[in-house]
Amino acid sequence: MSKLSRLEIDALSKIIDELNYYELLQVKPTISSRNLKLAYYEISRTHHPDVNSTLDDGAKETYHRISKVMTEAYCVLRDPRKRKSYDEQLASDGGLRIQLAAARAAHAKKDSEKRMGTTPQGKQFLLKAEQDMRRDDTPGAIQNVQMALTFEPNNAQFKELLETLRKPKSE
Amino acid sequence: MADMTIGIDLGTSNSCVSTMKDGKLEVLSNAFGENTTASVVAFHEDGSITVGNAARANIIHDPAHTVSSAKRLMGRYHFSEEARKAQAICAYEITEGANHSVRIRVREEDFSLPEISAMVLREMKQVAEARLNKKVTKAVITVPAYFNDNQRQATKDAGQIAGLEVLRILNEPTAAALAYGFGKGLDQKVAVYDLGGGTFDISILEIGQDIFEVLATCGDTFLGGDDFDDRILDMLADGFVAKEGINPRNDPYAFEKLKVAAEAAKKSLSVDDEVEIRIPDVLVGEDGETRSLEHTITAVAFGTLIQDLVQRTFKVCDEAMQQANVTVRDLDGIILVGGPTRLPIIRDAVTKYFQQEPKADVDPDEVVSIGAAIHAASLVSDTSDAVLLDVTPLDLCIGVAGGLCEPVIECNTPLPIEQSRKFSPFKDHQESVRLKVYQGGSRQAEENELLGQFEFSGFTPGLRSDISIDVSFEINADGIVNVIAKDPESGQEASTKITMSSGLSANEIESIMDRDRTADVQRTGPDAEVASDSMTDDMLIASYGMDNELELVSEDELNELSEDELEGIANEVENDPNAISMTDVADLNDTTLTLAIDDDPDGPAIGKVALKTVSVPPAPVTAPGADVDPDTTMTDYSTGDDGSPDELFDRSDSVNLMGDHNEE
Repeated sequence: MSKLSRLEIDALSKIIDELNYYELLQVKPTISSRNLKLAYYEISRTHHPDVNSTLDDGAKETYHRISKVMTEAYCVLRDPRKRKSYDEQLASDGGLRIQLAAARAAHAKKDSEKRMGTTPQGKQFLLKAEQDMRRDDTPGAIQNVQMALTFEPNNAQFKELLETLRKPKSE
Repeated sequence: MADMTIGIDLGTSNSCVSTMKDGKLEVLSNAFGENTTASVVAFHEDGSITVGNAARANIIHDPAHTVSSAKRLMGRYHFSEEARKAQAICAYEITEGANHSVRIRVREEDFSLPEISAMVLREMKQVAEARLNKKVTKAVITVPAYFNDNQRQATKDAGQIAGLEVLRILNEPTAAALAYGFGKGLDQKVAVYDLGGGTFDISILEIGQDIFEVLATCGDTFLGGDDFDDRILDMLADGFVAKEGINPRNDPYAFEKLKVAAEAAKKSLSVDDEVEIRIPDVLVGEDGETRSLEHTITAVAFGTLIQDLVQRTFKVCDEAMQQANVTVRDLDGIILVGGPTRLPIIRDAVTKYFQQEPKADVDPDEVVSIGAAIHAASLVSDTSDAVLLDVTPLDLCIGVAGGLCEPVIECNTPLPIEQSRKFSPFKDHQESVRLKVYQGGSRQAEENELLGQFEFSGFTPGLRSDISIDVSFEINADGIVNVIAKDPESGQEASTKITMSSGLSANEIESIMDRDRTADVQRTGPDAEVASDSMTDDMLIASYGMDNELELVSEDELNELSEDELEGIANEVENDPNAISMTDVADLNDTTLTLAIDDDPDGPAIGKVALKTVSVPPAPVTAPGADVDPDTTMTDYSTGDDGSPDELFDRSDSVNLMGDHNEE
């Protein structure tokens, strides 16, 4: 393991704001989780702060900033859900960096949207179905979920709910 | 040639020091040939101090002047559960220092916890120097993985007071894994089960050749071998009460004898199935007759006695494995760390839980300091032989309205890391925003550890949607937290270490070190202590103007000062940079923010850092696209006529948080 040269650090520091996480970690956007880990280990051998601990103070500070962004990149890409949020952000030109909490929150929001429906009609019929369920009116609930599905035919949560409702009660 | 470095395992009960020399690892034994030294400090009547096993022997004769298990109080507030507990069971006196810190009073002198730990660290340094016949200054010091920022900072301070350059604060289980896997070229997942005297940690690591990645770490800083001792002690004391009708807990000498006997009994149970406890002359009854204590305890009975504590460790293990996304089947090895893991009861329980035998070739008392020594050597060498990818053990959160808090950096996030957030005032026309930073796993702010408070003001009040303050939260490789605020207009940075308010300022550390240098290990009179105390009580404001000048005044004075006077102070401070060392301003340059630490007269604030723009005429802040959820905005603030912020909203919460503690 050898440390980075001052030249390499300065160069990296100049372009770091223009690199996306994949470019920063020098991996392909299609890389698997397992290979990402191995790639990160490889890059840590030259880029981790511990390896560069004997740098002079100025270089250390510059280097510190780089290493924090690298950790962030690894943090996002190793988590499939955060990575998905990030990929979507990249696709929509939403910036090269994403805050961990934002990546998490975006996903949670999407989850809840999916659960609650994405169209006004879908949401409404889901609400009706939920009312039916509270009254133990399973046929009514099935009908309303089916209606909701006509507006959102690809909503997996709706489909799942429908299947659960159709299953005969075990007790 | 690289400098000589050491790794110190600063334990609750025992400490251990090792070094790596020419690739060879060595545990450095003390003058008595022992590889571990008791983390006990005895203060003698003649003013001298002894540290180590001799000091431990002193506990029975002189419990009020012998300090043990100080690590349990490191970085704790005086109002904390741990300090309360210590007050109940320790014979030495625990007092409250500045900013709700814990001080230990021995022979009419108050010592901070970092000072006590520094005495232990200095002893370990001397052990190393005697063994190596060389001066040693650079060290890696280990801490429980679950230590929070306050505790890490206190440990780092202790190292500095002891005259050490602390290369790194390293997590104990990570150090153990390094010692286990170093140079072996392993590809394994391992669990480190670290049961110390006062804390329990579990870390799950993946070792890929020379890379050691912590997948998850969990812990309990209120659970350790000392708790096993307490169970035995309670049994002995209750038995004695039942038999003799006298409570030995009320007699400090008898109580210490019981404590020592309990610990010895626990150690015997590491090898024997049964142990007979006999303490002649425990105490003298009111009738003048001396009483003795006799009790037999079997390993089985002991197992029952501590069963719930052992089960508690496995709950923590469940959590860690879940967070690391592994099952016991994925683990290639179990590493045991800490004296209590020598107990067959623990080994059996661990074997059963993990469905495999723990590694037998690891010495639970020495493995941590060996790992620290490996890392220390690696940090000063130009080529590194191993890389540690560690994580933060606790959520770093900010307080939000309603006494809740919201994580900015979640636990088990790899380090070093920086995340930023935008903050807006809670309502329109508010003049300042207060930010409270916590560490802990609870959504309830007050259940977490308060690291510090920050106050932002000086922006021109306006619609809350127009004002946005960018704050970055950084956790470095030591696990130590830094908060960096950006001026909303200039975007320039003003960084400040969250000053651990119940700990020591850099100023105090300096003054302690000065005192120690003049008096060597011998204690001095109270003069130096007074000087450092008055420093803490002072409200310090260090401000940076556009021209990079730096001013130091008390807050009361600030408003009264003329430009000329400010200038004068600036010059003064320039000549003595230590004068502003309460905040770490090394990184400050060319900024327009004022940093201040003060004592809130109402009590709740425990050292807050105020950031105010001073040298730039306030102008309306425009923050395009500032999208801030009202729930995440800060405690509301309004400004009184005198210009000092007067908290209106959420006040009850903040007063409760600290107020309760004050009363207790």
